[in-house]
Amino acid sequence: MDNRRFSLEEFKALFPGQFESPEQLLREYRSFQAVFEHLDSTPVPELSGEQKAAIFRQSWQGRRQNRLPLRIRLGAFRRPAVTFAAGIVLGCTLMLAATSVRAGWSQPRKADLRVSVRPPGGDRTLIVEHAGGTQVYQGQLVDGLYPQIENPKIVIERTEQSPPKRVLYGTVNHGGIYVVWNL
Amino acid sequence: MTRHDLMSDEALIEVVQRGDRDAATCLYHRHIDRIHRICYRIVLDSSQVPDCVQEVWTKVFQNLGRFQCERSFAAWLNAVAAHTAIDYYRRWKRQGSRVDLDEIGVESLASDERVDSRPLDDATIRRQIHQALEEVSVSQRTAFVLRYFEGMPLAEIARTLGCREGTVRTHLRRCLLALRARLTVQLNQ
Repeated sequence: MDNRRFSLEEFKALFPGQFESPEQLLREYRSFQAVFEHLDSTPVPELSGEQKAAIFRQSWQGRRQNRLPLRIRLGAFRRPAVTFAAGIVLGCTLMLAATSVRAGWSQPRKADLRVSVRPPGGDRTLIVEHAGGTQVYQGQLVDGLYPQIENPKIVIERTEQSPPKRVLYGTVNHGGIYVVWNL
Repeated sequence: MTRHDLMSDEALIEVVQRGDRDAATCLYHRHIDRIHRICYRIVLDSSQVPDCVQEVWTKVFQNLGRFQCERSFAAWLNAVAAHTAIDYYRRWKRQGSRVDLDEIGVESLASDERVDSRPLDDATIRRQIHQALEEVSVSQRTAFVLRYFEGMPLAEIARTLGCREGTVRTHLRRCLLALRARLTVQLNQ
């Protein structure tokens, strides 16, 4: 029995005031000493050299592989960040597209940029012409809207001189309804 | 003997942190047997112990940077081993695993008559110790192992288990009573 491992003083500290007499205390203490004798008689089986080597090898490798879970954790953290960045990129793209459209509208009118959309087969229900910041609508649809006007056309034109307004205004001029917008 | 064998644990740790495998090997072999004993006595299943020990050393190598020299490396290592073994045991139990006594080389007893008629052999004693340690909680068992097998002071055990010294004494008392009930009563029937 290794008394240093389980001394009488420690026994008394663990079981304070539980014994009626010193004899009973010593008897109980000896019974616990027997427990330790049994424990000492059953040593732990040792690891073999191969087991030790394998454990070391895998542990040492596992130290390096620890970075993978860290990456996964960071990936989870980064995922919203990437989403946020993608949102920023998407927003910038849309803003760029919107400003490009506005820039296109505000470009000086060029006669050679005139684009006419005419339905095939001579259908004149609605003819749309684009020229810089101006769009011209004419055809049978517009004729029906304004029967009292000969060859009516609707001209939507963006003004460049006036400050932005929230009110559209239009004029009738030689059969043309001019809507000037600058929102 | 290599140059690493002459170095202290703390000096070795500095070298290991720079990725020196030989230094890590030296540190490992200094402490592997003790760590294995701690894990064995907490996990109580020899088939699970190597995995548990590997988990301990993986944590050690991963977290050497957190070791503070104000505490001895052995004490820090014991704490890592105890925590890892407790977690391993609980995880293993949650998975529905059952300790197979045959796997730890313990001869099962056919009946109580056999106990009475045969002299107490190591396998019988080991079985009774095993069952006694199974009866107590893993925290109580860990306190017992650290105190009486590794000689750790009560204060250090309390620090390791995150409880008060009075709780550690209670753990030790319950574990001792369970062991005595198994070893001195049943075996002496």
